[in-house]
Amino acid sequence: MSAEQILLTLPVGVTWVLAVSLALLDGRRWWVGSIAALGLAVSLVSLFVLAFIVVRDGPVTLVAGGWEEGVGIAFRADALGVTFALVSVTVILAAMLYEVFVGVRWRAFPSLVLFVAAGLSGLFMTGDVFNFYVFFEISMSASFILTGYREEDYQVRGAFIFAVVNLLGSVIFLIGIAALYTVTGSLDMQVIAERTALLETGSVLVIAAVIFAAFFLKLGLFPFHFWLPAVYVGSHASVAAILSGALANIGSYGLLRFGADLLPRELGIGTVVVMVLGAASIIYGALQAVSRRDASEVMAYSAIGQVGYILLALAIGGPVGYTAAVLYSVVNSLNKGVVFLAAGIRGPLVGAAFVIGAFSIAGVPPAAGFLGKLAVFKAAIEGQGGLVGAGLVLLVFLGGAFSFLYSFQIYQRKYVRPGSSGKHPERDADLVPTKLGPPAARYLVFGLALVLLGLGLYPEPLVAVSQAAADVILSGGYGGAP
Amino acid sequence: MNLLTALVVAVIFASGTFLLLQRDLTRVVVGIILISNAAALFIVSSGLLRGEAAIYPLDESGLTGQGIADPLVQAMALTALVIGFALAALILVFVYRLFASQGTMDLEEVAEAELRDARSLDLADDPEREELPSEEQDDESYEADAEREGRTPR
Repeated sequence: MSAEQILLTLPVGVTWVLAVSLALLDGRRWWVGSIAALGLAVSLVSLFVLAFIVVRDGPVTLVAGGWEEGVGIAFRADALGVTFALVSVTVILAAMLYEVFVGVRWRAFPSLVLFVAAGLSGLFMTGDVFNFYVFFEISMSASFILTGYREEDYQVRGAFIFAVVNLLGSVIFLIGIAALYTVTGSLDMQVIAERTALLETGSVLVIAAVIFAAFFLKLGLFPFHFWLPAVYVGSHASVAAILSGALANIGSYGLLRFGADLLPRELGIGTVVVMVLGAASIIYGALQAVSRRDASEVMAYSAIGQVGYILLALAIGGPVGYTAAVLYSVVNSLNKGVVFLAAGIRGPLVGAAFVIGAFSIAGVPPAAGFLGKLAVFKAAIEGQGGLVGAGLVLLVFLGGAFSFLYSFQIYQRKYVRPGSSGKHPERDADLVPTKLGPPAARYLVFGLALVLLGLGLYPEPLVAVSQAAADVILSGGYGGAP
Repeated sequence: MNLLTALVVAVIFASGTFLLLQRDLTRVVVGIILISNAAALFIVSSGLLRGEAAIYPLDESGLTGQGIADPLVQAMALTALVIGFALAALILVFVYRLFASQGTMDLEEVAEAELRDARSLDLADDPEREELPSEEQDDESYEADAEREGRTPR
């Protein structure tokens, strides 16, 4: 194994081994959580180095057991996968540190978080569709348990809903994989892409629809969104950050990998559907978010709207569209991480962090969210001419206006309005923010918000990485020429 | 043969979906188990070759190489079964936990409780409240839970 290949195994290997060993220890002790955070940090550093190598030299491949390529199970890191792994592990690390500072209450918590990280990094860097499913299930089942963290009744209910709905989604995905295997006779992404391009569209189109539906469910798009608010609103701050900042990336990555990369022809046929779903999500999410009072509820509905933009960018396609989709996914998960973590505690620094996060979601310039909105805007103008293009620009603009509105509303409710006036204790209960967290947690949240601001002020690396990821798709990636 | 398998998969999947839409939580879990088993059956059927064994048959003359079913799909089905089994167990734990705290297995009643809780949601992160067990839960099961999870008993 070369040095790059060893590096490729680190993000999965380190978190996995630690997850298993920490499961035996009492996770409520601070040092156990710290070891977990350290493991995540090692994983993050190796992903950074890997990202650097991959963007410079192209994909790194490792076939398990030293088999020939096409025979053994392939691990493959390219710019697209590494970008998603990088941002997901960043959010998970932040959530883990946050929880260590606030105080872990479950002995299994650090181990479960590590399992989510291991599953996610494996999923983003596998070259085998069945392994994708297995890693998907590893991170999903760990997150089902995490949703019930703190064991309030509504959290257990949330976990139940989350588990049932997403289990249905993964079964549908599994059926899609089995069907792909039937028509292509292979599980290797590269081979699948080559062979589906030769098949007639009819059968592959059905399979593509099944797989896309599974990812739509995972993303929480408009008609598939019903489970999302119940889960995101009830979850503890760090868990909600992991769910919406890291786990939801599976959906956008899956659509980019399976849709744009493996089945580009089928995605092309479904462009109108994808576009309509994206538009419906933007409008629905924004309207619901505007009408809610509670900060985490607003953010849960806003999450539905935000994935709509990713879908729009995906439907537009081409270099601009795919770059916008990757860029928006990255920025979106950082936004969500900051906002959900900040919603759990209070204090001036946290307030500032929340404001930065919320306004980044709205797309106000200094924050990174502006870049995402800008990229989608650009894609809408350049990618689609005529009436459709104009309609998309109008939609993106309208969605942006709404997200500005609800961001400002929460800001006003949560931070500007003076506390209890004593007149309406019932209503004021809604407005009193939660407990003041320990200083370390507050600095952490603020630091993460500064990263968001920094990426907005110095966007070159982010844009470069997103372009490299889009190039992977366009240059064929696994598939042939699009 | 193909038609028969397809029909079996369809019937199991449909029954699972029907159960999934019921109000009783146990039925929902059974529905999930049926659906994941339908998926496993679907995987096996994708490598179906007229009921032949998946093991490479060797006779005295050497390799025959004829008429073996695809072993890969069977390995996949096995993996999927194990995952489905683990998740079914996990969901059963959730159901038990809901039953222990709310004393009902009916989805509608659980949903009503959800509406009630939604109002007091903002108070939920209060650390004082966290340490208290929910009122509906009897002390015995709480103690047992506490012991199992290594929580410090009060």
